[in-house]
Amino acid sequence: MRRAVTGAAAAGLGLVLAIACGREPSGGDKAPPHQAATAEVQSVPLPDVSRAAPEVQAQLREKHAVMTRVVAQASSSPADRATAYGDMGKLFVATELYDAAARCFSNARLLAPGDMRWPYYLAQVARLSNDPPKAAGLFEQVLRLQPDHVPSLVWLAEMRLAQSRPEEARPLLVKAQSLAPGEPAVLYGLGRVALEAREYSAAVSALEGVLALAPSATRVHYPLAMAYRGLGDLTRADAHLRLRGETAVPPADPLMGEVSSLLTNAAALETRGVQAMDARDWPTAVTVLRQAVALSPDNAFTRLNLGTSLYLSGNRDGALEQYRAAVRLSPSLARAHFGIGVVLESRRRDGEAIDAFAAAVRSDPEYDEARFSLANALRRSGRVSESLAHYEKVLERNPATSQAGFGLAMALVRLGRYREARDRLERDARAFADQPGFAHALARVLAAAPDDGVRDGARALALVKPLAEGQRSPAVVETMAMALAETGRFDEAVRWQTEALSLARRAGRSDLVPNLTANLRLYEAHRPCRTPWTDDDPVHHPQPSPD
Amino acid sequence: MTRRAVLVLAGVWLAACSPAGEPKGLPLRSAAGDKRADWFVDRAADAGLDFVQVNGMSGRFYMPEVIGPGVALFDYDQDGDLDVYLVQGQPLGPGAPVSRGGTPLSDRLYRNDLRVEADGTRRLHFTDVTAQSGIDAHGYGMGVAVGDIDNDGWPDLYLTKFDAPNQLFHNNRNGMFTDVSKKSGTDSRSWSVSAAFVDIDRDGWLDLYVGHYLRYTLEGNTRCMSPSGAPDYCTPDSYQPLPDRLYRNRHDGSFEDISARSQIARAFGPALGVSTADFNGDGWLDIYVANDGKENQLWINRRDGTFENRALLAGVALPLTGKAEASMGVDAGDFDDDGDEDLVVTELTGEGTNVFVNDGAGVFEDDSARTGIGPASTGLTGFGTAWFDYDNDGRLDVLAVNGAVQVIEALRQAGDPFPVHQRRLLFHNAGGGRFDEVTARAGAAFAVSDVGRGAAFGDLDNDGDVDVLVANNNGPVRLLVNQAAGDAHWLGLRLVGAGGRDQVGARVQITTAGTVRHRRARADGSYASANDPRVHVGLGASGAPSDVVVQWPGGRRETFSAVAADRYTTLTEGTGR
Repeated sequence: MRRAVTGAAAAGLGLVLAIACGREPSGGDKAPPHQAATAEVQSVPLPDVSRAAPEVQAQLREKHAVMTRVVAQASSSPADRATAYGDMGKLFVATELYDAAARCFSNARLLAPGDMRWPYYLAQVARLSNDPPKAAGLFEQVLRLQPDHVPSLVWLAEMRLAQSRPEEARPLLVKAQSLAPGEPAVLYGLGRVALEAREYSAAVSALEGVLALAPSATRVHYPLAMAYRGLGDLTRADAHLRLRGETAVPPADPLMGEVSSLLTNAAALETRGVQAMDARDWPTAVTVLRQAVALSPDNAFTRLNLGTSLYLSGNRDGALEQYRAAVRLSPSLARAHFGIGVVLESRRRDGEAIDAFAAAVRSDPEYDEARFSLANALRRSGRVSESLAHYEKVLERNPATSQAGFGLAMALVRLGRYREARDRLERDARAFADQPGFAHALARVLAAAPDDGVRDGARALALVKPLAEGQRSPAVVETMAMALAETGRFDEAVRWQTEALSLARRAGRSDLVPNLTANLRLYEAHRPCRTPWTDDDPVHHPQPSPD
Repeated sequence: MTRRAVLVLAGVWLAACSPAGEPKGLPLRSAAGDKRADWFVDRAADAGLDFVQVNGMSGRFYMPEVIGPGVALFDYDQDGDLDVYLVQGQPLGPGAPVSRGGTPLSDRLYRNDLRVEADGTRRLHFTDVTAQSGIDAHGYGMGVAVGDIDNDGWPDLYLTKFDAPNQLFHNNRNGMFTDVSKKSGTDSRSWSVSAAFVDIDRDGWLDLYVGHYLRYTLEGNTRCMSPSGAPDYCTPDSYQPLPDRLYRNRHDGSFEDISARSQIARAFGPALGVSTADFNGDGWLDIYVANDGKENQLWINRRDGTFENRALLAGVALPLTGKAEASMGVDAGDFDDDGDEDLVVTELTGEGTNVFVNDGAGVFEDDSARTGIGPASTGLTGFGTAWFDYDNDGRLDVLAVNGAVQVIEALRQAGDPFPVHQRRLLFHNAGGGRFDEVTARAGAAFAVSDVGRGAAFGDLDNDGDVDVLVANNNGPVRLLVNQAAGDAHWLGLRLVGAGGRDQVGARVQITTAGTVRHRRARADGSYASANDPRVHVGLGASGAPSDVVVQWPGGRRETFSAVAADRYTTLTEGTGR
């Protein structure tokens, strides 16, 4: 049997403290600190920190030396010693050395029993070590010292929820609400308590309240959806499910905030930067990741993340610079090549973008986003036949990539391979019945392909008619006209084409007018259209990747 | 008139002598009546299962190192007992071991040579028959699924891989297998872990769902660190997930990739667990996919070859907090005996196992906290799991094998060379929707800390209780022989079609002395593993015969009356009333 040796070393520093203010012997974590009669400060040797980054090792050693010096000085007051242990403990929490942190905070609590910070940090260590019962006992201690400490009320409620004791969580949160009515985490807790109790109206009320206070807390949409589901309101439930995300609702917690800012090594900064990216907080991500790059300029991944944050905050020059630096550091870093391609294609520099996307695909042949972007850029640049293999490769790996299917079909159209385009569109129109673009494109090919064996005017009409009834866009109305013309109904085709022209003008799409007019003349002359899309049609010029 | 095809296994085993003429294997005796005896005892080494998985780690923290392996229980030689298939790793990157003690790293097939002595003593012994089986498993093995792809009554084998094509081995019915991967069209090269055979279209042939994990290469390995800058394994967020695949059986040994047409490729995450069952009670088999760090999917069968993901509104995509958790293992089972399939899903340390309770129409409540399973599992990272009745009291209990996926600092500080191991968890169904954690009472085998991954559940010694085979990462296989059931009665059912194929997905309603229970034949679920396809039902104190109503996967419903307790009975589709 293998087991961890996690117990604290028993040997103390020889400091046996008589805590004068109590009469009862110490009862462990459940005993209020002021009742502790005597207890022993534990030794806190520096754990093995050899795996940590050098600057973190130095930080830990320095802090440990300070702590050792302070606790050894005869002139140090108990409060000084408590602070020394507490500061060390906070750094241990930041570096996830929880056993050592617990020893420090236990010592601090013994030395300064009236200071709520030390049982609070002990509670956080227990929480982070996934021990809710122990954490709960410690948060209760904090609340005996400071009954109005809102973070402790919220965290204690959280521990009660984790212990499946929602009814014990509720009064804590009600009290927290009275103390901090604008704290979203309190309402979130109340919403969860109500959900556990299947009190769906109360849950809706609380969780809607969270979103009113913190609209970016996207994680709340899911429990709110479940509450609406419980009330039988599936429409609202579905609406909130569509808005769900991963931005959480942590309580405002200045004490834990001190911990999270302690580490300033590159890895810690990168972690904070990535957390900011996850929260879509681009300014913070850029700031923190710039600091990380300054400390670790040769880390290609950090530069990649900084590049992405810069791009998403609108600084494309800065993004390009970081992506290029990442590629210099790690020439096979496919995501950096892809980033370069995305920036360049956004600037209509397709030739260079193609080179970057191709480099990404060479580095990682399964990188489908890069391959899809490469195919689109090739098609946009007129290198249509080269795009085919890339679309096909993407579809081979994920047949549900509908955009690749559409791109492939349009590439085939552009190459005059109408039969293959039709077959592709037939398949995708069935597979993606909820995406009317496929049925529309198929209708147009069936209405206007130059290949006699491909056209089928009646089917084209049957396909486009329901679309035209639902959506009066110039493109759909024009396809209707094409289908009517193909079936010999030229007068109706003229009417529809005239409407398409009118719609285009109203939409400010003067670029469409020449081709629409040319086709109108065909129908007026009782001649069908034999050009489903002209080469300059936007369908042959896929837009660059969206931001 | 009731017609039943009956195959009695228990109690009348014809013990063939071993080649040496001497009985091999460890005698197993029931712990009935002995309250001090361990509930489970690890017999792997004694029984000849000397397999050790090598994860191929080289200190570079490559992600595949901590994902496998799975394990399968299946009766490949149709001799009435469960044989064992164990999945092996490979060296990953320079400096990794290329063999273990001179033995090449490859998957192993062990034949179960179970013997039952005249006094009822059972001797479990396994013989490594890999060499003569014709199985040549390539690449880094992840998991295994079992299903009879051609309805010949002999189970075939599907192997999932990292960085190599998946493999399908056809059972030749003579102890040998043929690699039909290429011909079958199921040889996807994308990293996959769990797979499941399931008849999605009720045509009487098993189709195949393959869960794919991440787009990952060793060359593109992302360097991940803890906040202190210590190197560690990455989370799945560092890579792109891959879409899953659904293959329709063409009835000629080949499969058609219908991932796009069926719609299942439209929503995907890093899939680690797959369980198939009729979740909405419409008689058609659905698919639940457990994803690592992303929303899970519940693919409801629309009965026309397509599926719709209803996980979100059904309440099984996420826990009640709305946080996408790291779902790994999964199993479907009717733990509250209300006639529908509930879900248990194992999760990462800090998240706790999720339990989703079905209302019968495919709408679930997150009862993770209410059951007690969620809070009790928060400190562990769960993988293989199952609903199973370990003590034959008639209620489905839960076991989970655990092992972290990132360094546990406390273990590292203690000098542990692979500091990710954790203990197993056992929960007893106390009724009323509550479970008690009874790990500490389960015996020494549950005090061992391993890097648990796959777990397969089945009655290896045919004594009427469910044993557990645990596949550990970078460690030895564990065979947890059940001794907990004591004198409790049980019912064993093998549900087969006319051709003898195990009818996985069939649901049974068992009525014994007025008590009604619901179970399902399944080989899938857990994690990267294949379970005993037989249905096992604890009957508690009642040894009375049971009436069994079978809902076959093809839609037929039949009743079999007075099925005897304390033995295995084969029910053949079309022979009931």
